[in-house]
Amino acid sequence: MTKQPDTHPDFEGAHKYVLDSELASIVNISMSLEMPLLLKGEPGTGKTMLAHAISESLGMPLIVLNVKSSMKLVEALYQYDTLTRLNDSRFGDSKRDVSNIDEYIKMGKIGQAFRSDERTVLLIDEIDKADTDFQDDMLDVLDQMEFDIIETDRTVRAKHRPVIVITSNAKKDLSDPFLGRCNFHHIAFPDPKMMRKIIHVHFPSIDTKLAENTINAFYSMREIDGIEKKPATRELINWIRALDADPDFHAKDLIKGKLPYMGILFKKSQDYQRAREITSRRKLI
Amino acid sequence: MFINFFYKLKEVGIPVTPTSFLMLQKALQKGLITTIDDFYTCARAILVKSERYFDLYDQVFAYHFEGVPIPDDKGFEIDEIARGMLDEWLQNPEKVADALGVDESELADLSPEELIEYFKKRLEEQTERHEGGNKWIGTGGTSPVGHSGYHPGGMRVGGESRNKSAVKVANERRYKDYSTRGPLTSASIGEALKRLRNMVPEGPKDQINIDETIKKTMKNGGEIELIFDRSMRDRLKVILAIDNGGWSMDPYISLVQTLFDYARAQFKELKVCFFHNTIYDYVWEDPSRYKKPMKVDDFTRLDPETRFIIVGDASMAPYELMAYDGSIHIRERSGKPSIERLRFIRDTFPHSVWLNPVAKEMWNYTQTIQAIAGIFPMFELSLDGLEGAVEYMRSTR
Repeated sequence: MTKQPDTHPDFEGAHKYVLDSELASIVNISMSLEMPLLLKGEPGTGKTMLAHAISESLGMPLIVLNVKSSMKLVEALYQYDTLTRLNDSRFGDSKRDVSNIDEYIKMGKIGQAFRSDERTVLLIDEIDKADTDFQDDMLDVLDQMEFDIIETDRTVRAKHRPVIVITSNAKKDLSDPFLGRCNFHHIAFPDPKMMRKIIHVHFPSIDTKLAENTINAFYSMREIDGIEKKPATRELINWIRALDADPDFHAKDLIKGKLPYMGILFKKSQDYQRAREITSRRKLI
Repeated sequence: MFINFFYKLKEVGIPVTPTSFLMLQKALQKGLITTIDDFYTCARAILVKSERYFDLYDQVFAYHFEGVPIPDDKGFEIDEIARGMLDEWLQNPEKVADALGVDESELADLSPEELIEYFKKRLEEQTERHEGGNKWIGTGGTSPVGHSGYHPGGMRVGGESRNKSAVKVANERRYKDYSTRGPLTSASIGEALKRLRNMVPEGPKDQINIDETIKKTMKNGGEIELIFDRSMRDRLKVILAIDNGGWSMDPYISLVQTLFDYARAQFKELKVCFFHNTIYDYVWEDPSRYKKPMKVDDFTRLDPETRFIIVGDASMAPYELMAYDGSIHIRERSGKPSIERLRFIRDTFPHSVWLNPVAKEMWNYTQTIQAIAGIFPMFELSLDGLEGAVEYMRSTR
């Protein structure tokens, strides 16, 4: 990848985040083209982590907008604090100037990202929770890089175009105009090789035997059918942490089919029971 | 640059837009793409907006840059059509035989697998003769002979027994409908369930009413008085009973799960319970149907205004529904047949519906579906069906 002389530094991964080269070049091209990057993929593939990693590695502050189903776009942009203003006008004991509405406008997450003096990473997490109107309107704002504050008839323009990362759990299909304005990447579940790297980043001093056995056991448990919520990377890391902390546990136990702390991997009681049942019947590794 | 590549993508059915193509050009112009690998990933991120098309993209990419031929999907298409024909045949053997111009009794002896093979062969013939058109109907010049000798009872894949011999195919077909045509995406469930909401102020008074506050404050000569409104909260109580047991519901679990996820966000008061095939003395609050039993008799204590929504395929052996000891769980045998229990629930909650993931056309072939549809208003678990169910629950309010 050639570097433009005046652009930002390239993103090359971060502490505790293992990046595959494909995703790295997509992140870099989205930054250069100034387009939001839409990430899809099953839970636990590190969609949200990516934004944290970008912010860490490029030294930009991270602003997170957690989308909720009932959210209105204006909440993400700004809030007009009428109550404080009313209170101030009555008692007049604050330093704020009541006649100046601007003093009562608080920026929402998108507003903060626009107002920031340095370039920020704006993570819009789980966009699919909101309804379609929210999504389309938001993309308009992100496209124009400005919005109006109706109360003061003022336009907030982005000082620096933030790096925008949007995640979706694919609960709903996003609308075509929305997709048209984003770059898209689907993060596949890491393969065992990648997983080994990830584990090593998190546990640099881990016993190789333990890592190998847990990863193998983990992948064979993911293959049990009829599991509603498959364990993901996060669960594996916690599991290893638990096994590591247990002084009575030995890595070779896993080969014998002894799998302690399965509750860390399977969070639904019916999944847990099913996994228990199956692992007790056959050897996994 | 790469215009042919772009059009090839379009041709194979990936929804690519000119805007995104221009964006790709911009990326190229800026010198952001220097290697073929870069081009592969970047063009995909910019042009292809869904992982569903990633595989297709790979194929076109390989074709365009390495000359790998795109696999012919004709065979696949014919498979699909043949399967459709089998279904059609199961519904109405006479018509299909007529259209193919053969004696239907010739085909009646064939097993479903053999039938599919036969249809495929016919289709391939037809394709050739008609230059790619898949129009097989009305091509047979020979008039069907002896077609009045049709005796549904005597046939292997007709009439009564067809449910057994074609069960595999029929299941596949229904499942396919949900994944490709996708009548129920979670977005549309949300839309349909929204209409259930009965927006009456019921929540705590925690929303400030600015206009009223200002008015009151002025009346008080500047002394602030805050006026709060009740926040709009859903008054609707809903019990969602899901059939989550047994292989017969397996193809629909994910579908029901979508509905379930939505329902949870949509109502403030929502009880979800589970049952296997049909309801006897208990339903369970945990999906494994083990830990938290809920007595059906206790339903009388609940608000009769509760919307009771049952999701299940209502397909089971008739004795499970009718017999006094129909339950497969021993401790559940209180002596009341399930059908009595269902009537009881229906009487307790006048606003109840049964949502059935089985396609409506298939209902008549299963005895228990008909029996249960006699008790509960039954709707198909599709957008139309939901619409109907919602409409029904509104009108009986």
